[in-house]
Amino acid sequence: MAFTQGFISDLVGRRATVNDLTIGKVADFLITSPDDAFPPIDGLVIKTARGLRFAPMDTVADVDRNGTVALTVTPDKAAPSDDERLYLVADLLDKQIVDVNGRKVVRINDIEVADTGGRLRVLAADVGVGGLLRRLGLRSLGRRVTPVNAPGMPNSMIAWSAVSPIREANPANVRLSVTQNRLARLHPSELAEIISELSAREAAAVVGQLDDETAADAFEHLDVEKQKTIIGDIGTERAADIIEEMDADDAADLLGELPAERQSELLAEMNDYTAGELRELVKYDEDTAGGLMTTDFVWIYPHRTTEATIRKIREIAPATEFIYYLYVLDKNDHLMGTISLRTLLLALPTAFIDRVMNTDVVSVAADTPAVEVAATIARYDLLAVPVLRDDGTMIGIVTVDDAIDAIMPGDVAKKLPRFTARHHSVSTGVSSGT
Amino acid sequence: MIFAAILGPGFITASAGNDVGGILQYSQAGAQFGYSLLWVMIPLAIALIVVQEMATRMGTVTGKGLAALVRENFGVRISFIAMLLLFFINTLLTSTEFAGIAAAAQIFGISKYLAVPVALIVVFLFVLRFDNKIVERTFVVLSLIYLTYIGSAVMAHPNWHEVAHGALVPSFPFRTVGWIAAVVGLIGTTISPYMQFFLQSAVVEKGRRANQLTAARIDVVNGSVLAIVLAGFMIIANAATIYLANQHGAHIVANTVSDFAAALKPLAGESAAVIFALGILNAGVFTAAVLPLSTSYIICEALGFEAAIDRTFEQAPVFFSLFAAGLVAGAAIVLIPNLPLLQLVLFAQVLQGIVLPAELVLMLIIINRTHIMGRHTNSPVANAIAWTTVVVVGSLSVLYVAGQFFPRLLGSH
Repeated sequence: MAFTQGFISDLVGRRATVNDLTIGKVADFLITSPDDAFPPIDGLVIKTARGLRFAPMDTVADVDRNGTVALTVTPDKAAPSDDERLYLVADLLDKQIVDVNGRKVVRINDIEVADTGGRLRVLAADVGVGGLLRRLGLRSLGRRVTPVNAPGMPNSMIAWSAVSPIREANPANVRLSVTQNRLARLHPSELAEIISELSAREAAAVVGQLDDETAADAFEHLDVEKQKTIIGDIGTERAADIIEEMDADDAADLLGELPAERQSELLAEMNDYTAGELRELVKYDEDTAGGLMTTDFVWIYPHRTTEATIRKIREIAPATEFIYYLYVLDKNDHLMGTISLRTLLLALPTAFIDRVMNTDVVSVAADTPAVEVAATIARYDLLAVPVLRDDGTMIGIVTVDDAIDAIMPGDVAKKLPRFTARHHSVSTGVSSGT
Repeated sequence: MIFAAILGPGFITASAGNDVGGILQYSQAGAQFGYSLLWVMIPLAIALIVVQEMATRMGTVTGKGLAALVRENFGVRISFIAMLLLFFINTLLTSTEFAGIAAAAQIFGISKYLAVPVALIVVFLFVLRFDNKIVERTFVVLSLIYLTYIGSAVMAHPNWHEVAHGALVPSFPFRTVGWIAAVVGLIGTTISPYMQFFLQSAVVEKGRRANQLTAARIDVVNGSVLAIVLAGFMIIANAATIYLANQHGAHIVANTVSDFAAALKPLAGESAAVIFALGILNAGVFTAAVLPLSTSYIICEALGFEAAIDRTFEQAPVFFSLFAAGLVAGAAIVLIPNLPLLQLVLFAQVLQGIVLPAELVLMLIIINRTHIMGRHTNSPVANAIAWTTVVVVGSLSVLYVAGQFFPRLLGSH
């Protein structure tokens, strides 16, 4: 093929010939495996006098330098419209995509294709000024701009491997093709930032591509308004799955913002344990200790040895977010004392918990205002403070992160580094990818 | 909270429509043609509601701004031309806002060469430093000043019989350039092309969903009706004072912006000029801030540049450049010595009327596509009203432009 490298804007609209007779114009390109690093073009859509026709790649004899496409047979099949497939012009050109490496949403001005190993493949998306000018028909000007990336101008080319298409179909029949999910590689906070830049429907489509846990992690970084919009779009069952994976306190905040009817719909979809826990949490005002707390904490018995306790923690705690403080409860869930992980590790293996625990406990009541909770945490230099009912039974903890979130303006708090590590396995070294 | 509930995007957009151009266009219509143009406001109200409802529906259903939809449906070229036109017109409109500020300053005896640069700095700081919501609310509260037009219209004791006649019995003096210009200007300022972009983005920003369409529609109807009622009273106030006085041999030529202050005299007496100046100043400052900013957002949305006020210049160079360019150019135009400010303002409104049909056609094509709107495509009634608007405004625009080139085609008044 004489055409070795170029842009689809060079090819669209060019003549398609069979035996040197023009039969139509190139209209679109089909790729069936958009998840490949550089997916091959599997066929062309030709606009003929009889409508759009599909020419599989093996009927393409030659693409010459001017972009004329020679076919071996006249294409007669209609273009496949399966959701699994991706059309470069119809689905991607002018649409928004996520630049996974740049971690932002961009609009595709052009798509670079090249002949590699005898097949025409998609190399990169052009999101820069060069592509814009090329599409506007200002080719020579575009060429002059393309090689130099003017400072401050958006970097023009994104390798296809760093592109994640947002495929929004009709909400009724969303079927997504992206299996090896590139978005899931992003840090949840970055994912959240991207989601907030998207339109509601696109955001729902992106969330649709994520597994429950990744979606839940990203959700925790979104503001409640955006969360509400998205769960309105993704269906009750899926929404319930995601909320189930969220931290109990964040999940309760979200549920608390929804109308009662919607709340019970969602709770009905969840497993009984989580639903019960959330029902309890939703009761409290958002700006009190009860509204801020999570019920996900580690409690231990007073009469075990430190060694046995450490063993027990290894067993039960991996799914727990906050394990730096352990809470010693009696049979009636009354808080007897606390012990830090540090004390536990440094104590004699044979020592009993009730001998080494700290009995001078600082706690707050469920209806303590958020500001006071934060003040308590700050005054005593705590990482978390236990929340007690009037009768002394412990119902949860407020972590320092959640206390800060509650007293800071929303967007500032969401950007702060988190002290308590989320238990998802994503490392902070996002760009490396896995 | 109640305040926030009343202040839906539809209400705010409608209030923003009463900018300097709007006030002067309505005043001019009343001063020049008395009550005879009042009837235009009724079909205009229907068209305004239909068009704004369309923008709201597109926003709630797609969750995307109009500029994004134009780009995705019509490609780069049409978007680019549309954006170029939008930038040009909005910069001109920005300059009309500064013209209003200059006029208001003149009433207070301050030179425009001082007032405009100061206003430019104030607007700049407004936008970059302040929470937009606060600015927005301050403006909307201040725009209660326009209610004085209702008081003034009533106190001027208009002949209500003539008012009703003017509002209900259409008259068509087609053969006069001035009449056509006034009607196209009224349409252009009432259904400003940029407003649809502005409204749809605001709807999307609010995260309104398709199931909240009813609430959004009520908001649009409220805002539109309020805007039209205020516009109607501006026309009546000017008709009952300036037009009537001229009929009786007075010569209030209404050649400069401040002449329209006379319309407020029945209510405000000697302080009419001050109240008029404050109203114009309020409209001018707010719209001069909002217009270049939203224009910049819209263009970046269409062409795929980073756009957000909380980014740095390095992160979003195109966004900030467009904003600064629109704002500074708008202010600079007004500083041209001996510029006829009123003519500039009225011309900008006519220009809006001329490009409106093109925008409506794009909107109508998108909103009738099932794969975009699902079951929320346009109803036949909405289509009929919108297409009628396109045809009527289009024909009037053609007639107006033809009249400019062939002055003898139409009469002179």
